Amino acid sequence: MKPKSGKSKKWKEYMESVLFTVPAMLLVTVMMYIPFIMSGYYSLTEWNGIAKEPVFIGLDNFKNIFTGGSEYMGAVWFTVKYTIGFVIFANVISLLLAVALTQKFKFVNVFRGIFFIPYIMSMTIVGFIWKFIFTQGFAKLYEVTGWAFWNESWLGSPELAFYSVVFVGIWQALGFYIVLYIAGLQAVPADVLEAATVDGAGKIQRFFKVTLPLLGPSFTTCIFMSLTNSLKVFDIILALTKGGPGGATYSATLQIYRDAFTNNQYGMGSAESMVYFVFVLVVTQLVLKIFSSREVDL
Amino acid sequence: MTMQQRRMMHKVILVAAMILAACFYIYPVFLMFMNSVKPFGEIVSDAIAFPTQMAWENYSYVIDKIDYFKLFANNVIITVTGIVGIVAFSSIAAYILDRRKNRYSRIAYTIIITPMLIPFQTIMITLLKSMNVLHLSGSKLGLGVQYWGFGIPMATFIFYNFMKTIPKEIDESAVIDGASTFRTFRSIIFPLLKSVTVTVIVLDVMWIWNDFLLPLLMVNSSNETKTLVLAAYTFVGQMNTKWHYAMTAMVLAVVPSILIFIFLQKYIVDGVVAGAVKG
Repeated sequence: MKPKSGKSKKWKEYMESVLFTVPAMLLVTVMMYIPFIMSGYYSLTEWNGIAKEPVFIGLDNFKNIFTGGSEYMGAVWFTVKYTIGFVIFANVISLLLAVALTQKFKFVNVFRGIFFIPYIMSMTIVGFIWKFIFTQGFAKLYEVTGWAFWNESWLGSPELAFYSVVFVGIWQALGFYIVLYIAGLQAVPADVLEAATVDGAGKIQRFFKVTLPLLGPSFTTCIFMSLTNSLKVFDIILALTKGGPGGATYSATLQIYRDAFTNNQYGMGSAESMVYFVFVLVVTQLVLKIFSSREVDL
Repeated sequence: MTMQQRRMMHKVILVAAMILAACFYIYPVFLMFMNSVKPFGEIVSDAIAFPTQMAWENYSYVIDKIDYFKLFANNVIITVTGIVGIVAFSSIAAYILDRRKNRYSRIAYTIIITPMLIPFQTIMITLLKSMNVLHLSGSKLGLGVQYWGFGIPMATFIFYNFMKTIPKEIDESAVIDGASTFRTFRSIIFPLLKSVTVTVIVLDVMWIWNDFLLPLLMVNSSNETKTLVLAAYTFVGQMNTKWHYAMTAMVLAVVPSILIFIFLQKYIVDGVVAGAVKG
């Protein structure tokens, strides 16, 4: 090998850094940064997607959003409620099931697999399955049992449709949080638990005083993941209710989609997407901060 | 009751409860399979009973109608294109970013991983416009290429964190033997990344294979380019009350994922856990 002077070697290394990272940088720039900047610009315009040039209207779209001239804040509020319901119930139920599924019994892996199956299915299809159950399945169950519960309009009344959407969302994703909690539970050191037993702690005491505090990192991960996933909710609602009845189940993302691609208000849609970006960023960073500062170390 | 008997009983109760919970939980999936082989009359008169006669012709009808094998091939093409690019560009970027610590690499790292904070819905409107300009919309390969841009931030982040655990002495000895930087990466470093590559592949296959919104925006206009889920979505919409065909289409759309999961359960679950913890 030819000896190289320090300077040219350094130059070569520098060029390699650039060369090997250029594809990645180029791709994220084209797919993410440029559309993001364009959205920022279109949010200040009125544009139907057909006219050649968008018309610059300043902050009018944002004024409309925040003064109730658009339905966007309603959709954001729906998303907040959905997120609260989803985060709480998905985490509580999956933690309970994870505790049960870390006990030793036969075929425990088969059980874990069963709870994971809905998670690997397309959310759109999951929405359709439940649409079928809520309509055809419940109708038959009412015919057989006569219980009023089955005869409620689970997708047809605005209030019940909200619960149905949250329920189906949780049903689809539960397996994901279960496996994360299982991994966390298995990482709790056996000797710490034994020490607690020796000190006379009962099963329940051991769970609340030892296991739960040590699950901190799992909590942070699961809360954060359930938060970001529920803030993005889209496919399930589109398949299940299409935003109905009467617009009661439009989520923040579905509303952007509707305003842009159905109502052809590209400017308004872009403004909503900017509001959505700031909203998601603030909420996720805030929650992340609160939770990671509370983790307990051994 | 002795201690042992009590423990035994707890276990029996636990297992019984789990069996009950699991049956309830998976029943909707089971219901979908069951109704996909019912003739139209039975599905309407009784959605929850077992079929009394098997209507396998639902399958031949739907497979033919939606051109199932073509859709399946489309999904494979899009997913494979996406994965190959994401893994190749992310791993090599992560390698050089970890090995060459200078001002450039710090800036480049920030540029590459920051888009993790941008939700897809924030950019979807203008993305469609810019992809039309670049002629990447309306084509399977174009869609695959788009996934590179969306997958790279997270994948680079995961590769980068793993790269720190590979001792630098390994590549130094390769360089002394005269291997170029690219050669060192390809023949020595990349094989050592196997476990984390599996994680990235699992996460991204699950995402791309079932993705709905991006294909809806990009490849929905022609039957030539549609994905499985997209075609099932359109088909179910058209079938309206013909639930027997709708169910069949839904089963056909999810069966590949379920089969793959049954065979690769361990890898998939491990990959999902690793990805969530690292991401």
